[in-house]
Amino acid sequence: MSVPETTLFDDQRLVGMGVRLLTPENANIFEGTFSLLHCAVKDDTLYRGVFAVLMFPIRHTDRFISLRYTDADDKEKEIGIIDELSAFPAEVQRLIRNTLVKHYYEQTLTRIYSVENQFGLLFFDVETQQLGRLQFVMPWRGDRAEDFGTNGKTLLDAFDNRYIIPDIAELPTADRNAFTSYIYW
Amino acid sequence: MKRMATGRDAAPASVPNLVFHRLPDAVRDQAEKLGFKDDEMFFGVRGDLDADGSAAEVWTLVAKTRVVSIVVSGARAGAVTGPFELSAIQKARAAQNVGSAFLQLKIDGLYVDMARYSNSHRELFGRVARQIDRQVEGRPLPENALSLPSEMQCVKCGLPLPGRGAECPRCLGGHGIFARTLGLMRPYWVSILLLLTLMVAGVCLDLLPPLLQRTMVDKVLNPPAGTQLLPQHEALRALLLILLGIVGASGGRCLLNIFIGRMTSIIGTRITKELREKLQAKLISLAVDYYNRHSVGSLMSRVLYDVDYFQGFVTQVAQGFLLNVMLVLGIGGMLFYMNWKLALLVLLPVPFVIIGTTFFWRHIYPRYYKVWDSQSKTAQLLSGLLAGIRLVKAFGQEDREQKRFSGAAAYLQDSRRSLETSMATFNPIMGFVFGLGGLIIWYAGGSQVLQAHITLGTLMAFIGYLGMFYGPISALSMFSSWVTGFLSAGQRVFEVLDATVVVTEDPKAVRVPAMQGRIEFQNVTFGYDPYTPVLKNVSLTIEPGQFIGVVGKSGSGKTTLVNLLCRFYDPQEGHILVDGVDVRQMNQQDLHRHMALVLQEPFLFRATIAENIAYGRPDASRLAIMNAARAANAHDFIARRPAAYDTKLGEQGAGLSGGERQRISIARALLCDPKVLILDEATSSVDTESEQEIQKALVKLCKGRTTIAIAHRLSTLKNADHIHVVEDGKIIESGTHEALLTLKGVYHKLVMIQTELTRLEG
Ligand SMILES: Nc1ncnc2c1ncn2[C@@H]1O[C@H](COP(=O)(O)OP(=O)(O)O)[C@@H](O)[C@H]1O
Ligand SMILES: [Mg+2]
Repeated sequence: MSVPETTLFDDQRLVGMGVRLLTPENANIFEGTFSLLHCAVKDDTLYRGVFAVLMFPIRHTDRFISLRYTDADDKEKEIGIIDELSAFPAEVQRLIRNTLVKHYYEQTLTRIYSVENQFGLLFFDVETQQLGRLQFVMPWRGDRAEDFGTNGKTLLDAFDNRYIIPDIAELPTADRNAFTSYIYW
Repeated sequence: MKRMATGRDAAPASVPNLVFHRLPDAVRDQAEKLGFKDDEMFFGVRGDLDADGSAAEVWTLVAKTRVVSIVVSGARAGAVTGPFELSAIQKARAAQNVGSAFLQLKIDGLYVDMARYSNSHRELFGRVARQIDRQVEGRPLPENALSLPSEMQCVKCGLPLPGRGAECPRCLGGHGIFARTLGLMRPYWVSILLLLTLMVAGVCLDLLPPLLQRTMVDKVLNPPAGTQLLPQHEALRALLLILLGIVGASGGRCLLNIFIGRMTSIIGTRITKELREKLQAKLISLAVDYYNRHSVGSLMSRVLYDVDYFQGFVTQVAQGFLLNVMLVLGIGGMLFYMNWKLALLVLLPVPFVIIGTTFFWRHIYPRYYKVWDSQSKTAQLLSGLLAGIRLVKAFGQEDREQKRFSGAAAYLQDSRRSLETSMATFNPIMGFVFGLGGLIIWYAGGSQVLQAHITLGTLMAFIGYLGMFYGPISALSMFSSWVTGFLSAGQRVFEVLDATVVVTEDPKAVRVPAMQGRIEFQNVTFGYDPYTPVLKNVSLTIEPGQFIGVVGKSGSGKTTLVNLLCRFYDPQEGHILVDGVDVRQMNQQDLHRHMALVLQEPFLFRATIAENIAYGRPDASRLAIMNAARAANAHDFIARRPAAYDTKLGEQGAGLSGGERQRISIARALLCDPKVLILDEATSSVDTESEQEIQKALVKLCKGRTTIAIAHRLSTLKNADHIHVVEDGKIIESGTHEALLTLKGVYHKLVMIQTELTRLEG
């Protein structure tokens, strides 16, 4: 369900009980041991081996970034949320973007040359933005193709590799027809 | 065969991803410079990504005492991570991110990235991480652990398997949807043979009237010039006889039609009934996991609507396809037999038929999918809406739900309209093309009659046959539209039938007529997603008759323990034994018969309270039902209802409070007289007072039964023989209430917090 951006509901009573916001003032982010990201938070402590995760990976790739670390018991914990990455110095922005790149791996499809169905598997022959032309196999099941934003799809192949079609309407007509005759949901 | 999904590999596919006991050729020079030698090597593993996600060949070398990663290709070629001494490594793990993962080593309390790999290599690196862990812990390294056959891909042809360790559909020789549907009809082959014979007879009868008409015209009504006219009375008699013949033929045809129609309907409905039963049986047998992935709406529409296509299959084959093919062949034969030149003209529109059909497959066929999708989406939306109707009302969201439903309804309307408008355009055009064929014959045949090459009777018969010829042909071209609908429905039905039951029953399953109730978890590791374990190396033993408490934060894996014990899922590692028998080798019905489960969110059926309590024991007496209810502290509130035990409950127990529902489900479990009773936060919505009463009853009833009680409220577990504290998928403390208190650990802390809370409440 999409929440319209304009009617954001912001309950002031929840501030302070909710997430901790990280700002250039209260968080010092730098590269430390083993080239890992470190983050010192004012009135708190130094966190080592920090990584970043997008909270709204489809709509906001530069905002709402959760900084996280693995604690002594191997549990993943949140340090805080960066609301606006652009508020940070350029070097910090670069560091954060670099760790974000490590967290996400997916191919963007620009062409779908053919889709064939055999044994309940769909054999795709596609053009990707990152790796050029390649083939992959996807089980023909509803849970392997999910909505991406309002008009796109995320495909998961048999090994859970991710392929994104940002907007189905932007595929060439023949590609789109080939695609929607199998992925029609 | 197509190249497989590993098309992203930077290195040629011929290089193996694993190398044992020697340095991989690609990194030999560099590794030797770092002091690595062949004879100290344990193994090398190849990853396919650089840290930034670009394609690269990265080798991680695991030697007897050290580990190192070397980038071979890509922008950072030559870069080295490590080497790290094994003694400095605390742990190895495969850290799964979105779409890819890292092999990480924990050094000095920090996880260092050694290699990044796409999900295609997940299985391999998962094994590698475990292998390094073993080496770090100094446990013996089983040689074959890394090179076990893949559970994800067919070892022979590389095809991804439909389920872990399932049979490869390609190597098994998959059947087409049609072939399998015909397979469904095998039990009815006698009836089908009879049907075919009747149909051949029917076609012969169909062919008769135009022939008789020709005789009538040429011999009686309008003999060609130069032949002798029959005398008047003989001509009348001949006319009558011929007409009687035509009446006989069509009368016989009529009888045959009735008979054929009845038979197809009988066979068709039988097959669909069997198929529905099969689907339902399959749906019940499917592992719980399947339902996490598929919406109930889409499954319902398969059982209810898609199956109807299979009845259509019988009807279509008997009265549509086969009949039409026979007619086309029979009539075509007659046409060629009477006049092959004219017959050739009849074939003129055939290219158009072919063009039309191709057009159909390209442009109209995809619309069928959309219609189905919109139907099932609407059904999903509606069933979700109705199930959550109270939530909708409570939050005042009726308008928004209305809008959402309008959206779905509009989508349904659009997809249907798009299908039907295109059909409405397509069909008349095809009809027109066929009509043209008739006009050609009138012209060509007419001029032949004028030139006295053929008789008027022959032309009449020709036109008669022609009228019967295009009908079946156009029906055949429409048949393709039915076939497409059938194929997509068939695909959806067979998808369910073919779904691999994640939990399979051993064909040699051990029967357990009587159960003691001894339960043992041996080094159990399990994750709903096999790559992120929820339970980690859990071991515990429960003696028959013990009352066991399990506590822990929510999300720590308590319910997961229960899910494994009930065998809703199978562990990835380790064993679960009941009475010394691995649950995987135990007859499932026996396993479940002796276990009763009370869930946190009890499920009640749309039936009376008595029926709900007696669900596991439909033969229970009224008194037994009441005793169980009494013991579960449910009797009093039931008794206060006007219809008492006959009170009909609504969907999911509507009309009862949460606590009342829980008490009914406890009664249900008690009535089963189980050897093992599992209470998963079963009294969480019950007030403290009734909880204590239920507790008292349970203590009495649980004598001689193994009871596992998962609870938030620790006071309920005071009397437990043994309490296990679960945290983050591990059992971190266990012992009696007193022992755990003196331990001053997590349990002690939880108890302190709760007494604090009780004081606040009090
Ligand atoms: N069907 C499921 N699919 C995927 N993850 C699940 C599923 N059920 C539970 N989990 C996850 O497993 C972990 C343990 O859950 P559970 O055993 O239900 O905890 P609890 O101790 O509260 O009963 C949680 O992190 C939960 O998110
Ligand atoms: Mg639970």
